[in-house]
Amino acid sequence: MAAQNPFAGNAAEADAGRGLFRIMCGPCHGIKAQGGRGPDLTLGVYNAGNTDRDLYRVIASGVSGTEMPAYGSRIGDDNVWRLVTYIRSVANRREVPVTGDAAEGEKIYWGKGGCGNCHRIGQRGGVMGPDLTLVGRKRSIEYLRRALDKPNADLTPGFYTVTVVTKQGQKIQGVQRSFDNFTTQFVTADGKVHSYQRDDLQSSERSYTSLMPAYTSWSEAMLNDMVAYLASLRGEAGK
Amino acid sequence: MRFLLLLMAVTASAQVRDTDWLTYGLNLAGWRFSDLAQMTPANVKSLSLEWVFQTGVPGKHETTPLIKGDVMYLTGPENTAFALDLKTGRQIWKYSKPLPPGVSVCCGLVNRGFAMYGDTLYKVNLEATVVALDSKTGATIWETPMADPRKGYSGTVAPIIVKDKVVVGIAGAEFGTRGFVDAYDIKTGKRAWRFWTVPSPDEPGGNSWPNDKVAYQRGGGSTWITGTYDPGLNTIYWGTGNPGPDMNGDVRPGDNLYTCSLVALDADTGKLKWHFQYTPHDVHDWDATEDPVLIDVDRGGRKVKAVIMANRNGFYYVLDRTTGEFIEGKPYTEVSWAKGLDKRGRPILVSGQDPTPDGNKSCPGGGGGHNWQATAYHPLLNLYYFTSTDGCHTYYMTNQQFLEGAWYQGSTFSGEGLFPKGSIVALNPSTGDIKWRWQMVSPPSAGVLATAGGLVFSGDSFGYFFALDAKTGKPLWNRNLGATVIAPPVTYARGGRQFLVISAGTSVFTFALPKP
Repeated sequence: MAAQNPFAGNAAEADAGRGLFRIMCGPCHGIKAQGGRGPDLTLGVYNAGNTDRDLYRVIASGVSGTEMPAYGSRIGDDNVWRLVTYIRSVANRREVPVTGDAAEGEKIYWGKGGCGNCHRIGQRGGVMGPDLTLVGRKRSIEYLRRALDKPNADLTPGFYTVTVVTKQGQKIQGVQRSFDNFTTQFVTADGKVHSYQRDDLQSSERSYTSLMPAYTSWSEAMLNDMVAYLASLRGEAGK
Repeated sequence: MRFLLLLMAVTASAQVRDTDWLTYGLNLAGWRFSDLAQMTPANVKSLSLEWVFQTGVPGKHETTPLIKGDVMYLTGPENTAFALDLKTGRQIWKYSKPLPPGVSVCCGLVNRGFAMYGDTLYKVNLEATVVALDSKTGATIWETPMADPRKGYSGTVAPIIVKDKVVVGIAGAEFGTRGFVDAYDIKTGKRAWRFWTVPSPDEPGGNSWPNDKVAYQRGGGSTWITGTYDPGLNTIYWGTGNPGPDMNGDVRPGDNLYTCSLVALDADTGKLKWHFQYTPHDVHDWDATEDPVLIDVDRGGRKVKAVIMANRNGFYYVLDRTTGEFIEGKPYTEVSWAKGLDKRGRPILVSGQDPTPDGNKSCPGGGGGHNWQATAYHPLLNLYYFTSTDGCHTYYMTNQQFLEGAWYQGSTFSGEGLFPKGSIVALNPSTGDIKWRWQMVSPPSAGVLATAGGLVFSGDSFGYFFALDAKTGKPLWNRNLGATVIAPPVTYARGGRQFLVISAGTSVFTFALPKP
């Protein structure tokens, strides 16, 4: 293996890698590397290490104990580097500049935005929505921006809306923790976990939508400040 | 009253004779119907755990355990197998063969079970071999290679015994291989015959492929689910998988026989008697590797020897198993790619449903409606039970260079933004009319079992093992086992008691009613 990626930043080689990716990797990692049976590869952070050499090693040798096979002997050194180059080209988290003020975003988050009522950061905040402690490592700038005014564009898997009506006629709505063939567990805005046998309810439904409001009334500056704050949440000291 | 209950218990006990489970589908017709009736809709709520055995082998457990004498024989992932004491679940022996390098599988290092003849067990290993084991010790008696695993061939299927032969299939149609059904001498392991599921250009059916030296060699048609056997007709029925490459049909114009088909083979010679192709020129990965179940259907007062299949392409089919003639076909789930079937059973296609570089949505999805998971036929109720994934996928196509032994799918399908549901379907096998459908919140994962007690048992991806009323589909009992259920349940009886066995995660669980 070459000490460094011979195709680093080469758009033509990345495109060749894209062709290979759709065929060999797409079945598990999604046609656009967005994830599926295998992990999302567009985030710029990877379970097995973040250098080109780490990516090379995973593709060439596979990952023991998972369904990730070894491709090195099948496709050859150059093709593994082409895949690495393609994967780098879709890790777009850093491509969009952060224009807002993270400190302002933090104030909005815990203040008038009300974000902290549902989303935890570190030891603080509500539990109904996804924990955002490391969201800056997991999601791209574009993704974060879109999540604020189009929360239904892409839901964090599992964080769907559950609506039940009890036998007494009480309607309760919350965010799914589990929704299976016999039971459901969900969390309401007050942080309470509800658990029901679905047989004991008048009705129980799951919709593939988010309970998060769409912040379409926020100014562009507020949205940018919030994105800047979320992007800074990387689990590092002081955040 | 107490006396009466005691009397009833004694009577019930006397009625339950010892019952084994000796082959993949319980009988060679593939029914998975047990005449045991101790468990009923009235008492199923009292089922309780007898024992648990942990295989300790990571990976999907898809095995149908065999029950004979005092022992349960089951296969595990990664070339493992176990013999367990039936009373306690304690291990008697373990078979384990290290996986050689270069083995490629599409869908996990799985195995679906043993076949058994006398004191000998037969299974396939992942490196595409057939192995015979001494059931007393687990020691290897013989092991015969079927094909070269470095080319993408692998072994996952449960064999069946037909007369003096062990009959097996092969996996690997996602790697540009050429499928076959093989028969091996049960004593020596010598290959008795092979039927290639993809003909060469000069053989009958060869003109359904490009006339070159390579397309048929990569043509797919794997045979990874166990077939069935009719001794009266001396015929083996075996379903075949997708053509290769799965989603790029441009490189293989033609119907691509005998992929996505049922082949009827002479049991002595392996010669083709007839074939029926469910999905000509498939581009959606709709293998016809679902259970081909042999039953007699009623057609206007006339009994017809039939072979039925809930096909992955969304249609349920009835064929005459003597001639291969199409009798009936109906959709059992949402189907968008075909308007219906013509008089000969050929699909009437809808345009705009094939994979393209930018993707086309089509239903059912890539895993199909019903997939490989075991089905069951209840002869007393005349109902056929199977699981269905009810949903769609976006199908993509990519031009792809062939590399020997490498993934050769011609791109992929995606479920992004689509949320399929699932169901267990009960239909009238003569007509294909749906009697009931039990809705599941997500795609099913496990096989099913039907019993004379009036129950259908299955499991789900959430770890539930559950019982439905066989007549109505009403859920009657469930117990969460903590890990996904993929394997089908099996049942047997010893000492007047009926037992249920189910694998979940890496464990095997046995249930029974409390001792009287």
